Amino acid sequence: MARGLAREAARQPGGRPFAEARVVEGRDVRAIPVGEPVTGPEGMGFVDGIQRFAVEGHFGVTPVVRAQVAAAALERHGGALRCAARSVEEFLTVPRDRLTTDQWEALTDVGLPIQESDPGPRPHPLLDRWAAVQVIEQRRDRCEADAAARFLAARPDAWLVVDGGVTGLAAVRGADRAIGVVKSHETQFLEATDLEAALTLPAGSRSSAFVRRGAGGVEATSWYLRLWPWSEEDLLHGLARVERLTARGALDSADDVSRWLLAERSPVADRDPRWERLLYPMHHVEMYMRAEAGGWH
Amino acid sequence: MALTRDSVPVIGRVVATETLPASPHQFHFWTPTATPIGIGAIVRVDGEDRTVFGVVLDARAYSDLVTPLHEVIGAEGDPGAAAPPTRRAEIRLWTAAVLRQEPEEPLQPVPLARVRLATPADVTLALRMDAYAQSEPRSAIPVGLYAAGGTRAPVWLDPDFLLGPESAHLNINGVSGLATKTSAVLFLLSAVFQHFPRGKGRIAAVCFNVKGPDLGFLDRPAALTPQDLEMYAALDVAPEPFDRVRFYAPYKADGVNLNTLRTHPALAGSVEPLVWGLREVLDYSEVLLNRDDIDAKADAFLDFLADRVVGKPFIDEWGGRHAVESFGDLERLFRAIFDGLEAAGGRDMWRTHHVATIRKVRNRLMNISTRCKGLVTDDADGNDLPFGAFEDRTVYVVDVAGVDQLGQDLVFTRVVSKLREHLERRDLGVEHVVAFVDELNKYAPADGPETYVRKMLLDLSERGRYLGLVLFGAQQFRSQVHRRVVGNAGTTVYGRMDMDELATPGYQILSPATKIKLATLPKGELMVRHPHFTQPVFVRFPRPASLQGRQGVEQFPPVPDVAFDDAVVRQLAALDRRVPAARVKDLIADRREDDVRRALLATRRARPHDVLAFFAARLGPAVRRQTIGDPAPGADVAPLRTVEDPYAP
Ligand SMILES: Nc1ncnc2c1ncn2[C@@H]1O[C@H](COP(=O)(O)OP(=O)(O)OP(=O)(O)O)[C@@H](O)[C@H]1O
Ligand SMILES: [Mg+2]
Repeated sequence: MARGLAREAARQPGGRPFAEARVVEGRDVRAIPVGEPVTGPEGMGFVDGIQRFAVEGHFGVTPVVRAQVAAAALERHGGALRCAARSVEEFLTVPRDRLTTDQWEALTDVGLPIQESDPGPRPHPLLDRWAAVQVIEQRRDRCEADAAARFLAARPDAWLVVDGGVTGLAAVRGADRAIGVVKSHETQFLEATDLEAALTLPAGSRSSAFVRRGAGGVEATSWYLRLWPWSEEDLLHGLARVERLTARGALDSADDVSRWLLAERSPVADRDPRWERLLYPMHHVEMYMRAEAGGWH
Repeated sequence: MALTRDSVPVIGRVVATETLPASPHQFHFWTPTATPIGIGAIVRVDGEDRTVFGVVLDARAYSDLVTPLHEVIGAEGDPGAAAPPTRRAEIRLWTAAVLRQEPEEPLQPVPLARVRLATPADVTLALRMDAYAQSEPRSAIPVGLYAAGGTRAPVWLDPDFLLGPESAHLNINGVSGLATKTSAVLFLLSAVFQHFPRGKGRIAAVCFNVKGPDLGFLDRPAALTPQDLEMYAALDVAPEPFDRVRFYAPYKADGVNLNTLRTHPALAGSVEPLVWGLREVLDYSEVLLNRDDIDAKADAFLDFLADRVVGKPFIDEWGGRHAVESFGDLERLFRAIFDGLEAAGGRDMWRTHHVATIRKVRNRLMNISTRCKGLVTDDADGNDLPFGAFEDRTVYVVDVAGVDQLGQDLVFTRVVSKLREHLERRDLGVEHVVAFVDELNKYAPADGPETYVRKMLLDLSERGRYLGLVLFGAQQFRSQVHRRVVGNAGTTVYGRMDMDELATPGYQILSPATKIKLATLPKGELMVRHPHFTQPVFVRFPRPASLQGRQGVEQFPPVPDVAFDDAVVRQLAALDRRVPAARVKDLIADRREDDVRRALLATRRARPHDVLAFFAARLGPAVRRQTIGDPAPGADVAPLRTVEDPYAP
């Protein structure tokens, strides 16, 4: 299977490389075997989103980017996934401050919503594009949060697995039933022996839980979970970070939730290079949305 | 044509990609994993401005798994591991061949639209049966029921294409005992008799029984299941045995017991003897003389016999007067020739014919009378099929199962040739005849030397349709039958097939899935190709309503051969039950068997009012046995074995 990480390893991590956390399960981080995999509760949901964009043209050197973001929550019954909630948004994004009034009006005539991107100090083709992507990713996060919120509202008893962290869902009702599965380890919360214990977890074990603080001071209880054995070449192979909004019971359920996630190792999402930490249902959500979106002109 | 089908549920959708495009002749569609669709199902696709009918030829299922290895990893090497929480995305992808498009022009690729199961009305359209099955009056012959996904629809053949003149002949193929070949032909024959439009003329069938009791009980009812009866009703065919059947069989070598398994007393008298004299045989002597060693010289001599000798007064060089009517007479002529030549100092030519040629011809002809003793008679007249008085919707069963190959060849050739002649002259009594030949591979083999029978079958398959003479042939392996004989069959039917046979080049056009289906077809299911159908179609048919041979001999066990005098009594009793046995036995005691046979045959033929009196008169006054020195034909004729005589016993 493709070692996606081997290629990425040389890339400089974006965002924040380090952040604070406090261990809440014992004093030091250690490996905790979670037991046999157990299939999660019937009706469990899975949310993921997609994004795509294209530079549609330029005003002078200022790019106009058209984007589509979409998210869906699929629920699983009897092993089959079907759509329970969807959210789609299509828009243009430009650095508004760089456009003349005429140009802006021409753009509004297109009829798509317009999201403003950061103009930066002065035009730069690569930075302008990067700024657009920032906007698109934000909108996609919103889309995913929206699909998640709709699912949690419509299915008051169901658990929901989301792609990435859960602190963004703090305001959503029922977000205590959300399980975040983080595949990228761009931010490291632990250090020294704690870090070593976390990154060398044997397969089927989780780390002791710790609490991290997200945007707006929202707290999440988090732990690492080793889905597939790691290798000397890659400490992160098969490693996911799981989190739930810090609330009563979040910590107590860490083993159960971990066992559910372990059960998701099969089927393998083998069409994705990050199969060793991408859960198949999440891969399915993405497939579903790409099929659903169809060709884009 | 009503094209809205909103009430019929959608079961799939056409998909097309660059590598799997939809074309004017083929398309692909997907369905959920639970679907009533199967190989052979007929579907319809409703595009915006065209409707397409197709038949499913092949199917695939696959998931998003890239390599099986990943499945192993996912299950951690344990095939018994608990089922994973999520089922992989998977697809049922079906390939269908286009049967028909509406409108037909301009011909375009199949639209990427919804797919529905065909309704019965759709099946009629899809197979282009509307042109004949919905005409007024209807001109269509039901062959079976199409059944798929809850739809059942009769499938009809076009009589103009089954029985001529447009195309003709039917060939059926499949393994022994499972393919239901004989049964299918019998069912179809019932359907033909019941549905062949009266306006197209009278029709009869001549069925050669070549295997045991196969066709021996066509006039007797079979036990049918409720399912069979339901199918009969759906196909609008009355579940009744043939009501007009005439059975013919040659005698056994004893000349009185019939060579058939239909001998049970309850059926006594229902089998007519098939007996031919010298004239009948001589006209078809080509059958026996069709090997390489028979040359123009032998032909010339045969012509001489036929034109100048048989049935005419003939005086030989030595003063002998001959009136050759029978094999016995002919043998006397041969003796006279050989003796005369010998007396003349061993001359080797007689009337431009070399003595070797004469011997060869004599050997062959006499061979017939020994090998087919029960079929050929020493008498001048025989007892034959009622050429000239054939009756409408009547089956003539000619039982040659107990006759050796030479005799079978002779029977086929003569019967078919006579049918031809009479049809050509339009004086057979019917306008159409179906000739059913089972085990076609034996009579028209793909390889082996050219035989007269094969030439005749070939000619029949090529020209028969213009005359109204149609061949229904059956065999286990189509590949073993002469290509043009099967190739000329407008309608081809397949029952359960042998995999090895399916691997031969003749089946390349079939999809692998169709081949698998053919190799596993249950009894009573067939695949039919017919000129109107763009693709082969699978149908079911009911058991024949007439008793099958095997059950027939259980219900009516054949009786053992009876002694000569008893056999004579029985045959006379069959003509008139009042004939007293003792009187008959007295009459024939001490008579030469040949004379008795001759009298018996004459009585049968004449069907006189007073059977016994007629028989006694024919027998003539009692003469002491063995006072006349005439040898019975063959009895004292030493068979002259020439080298390489393929017919020598
Ligand atoms: N419509 C039918 N449905 C179910 N079974 C049938 C049907 N027709 C015939 N059979 C059964 O199938 C068996 C074989 O039939 P049949 O003798 O017609 O086959 P065949 O192909 O002619 O065989 P063979 O090559 O030995 O002559 C018989 O036992 C018969 O009862
Ligand atoms: Mg048969």
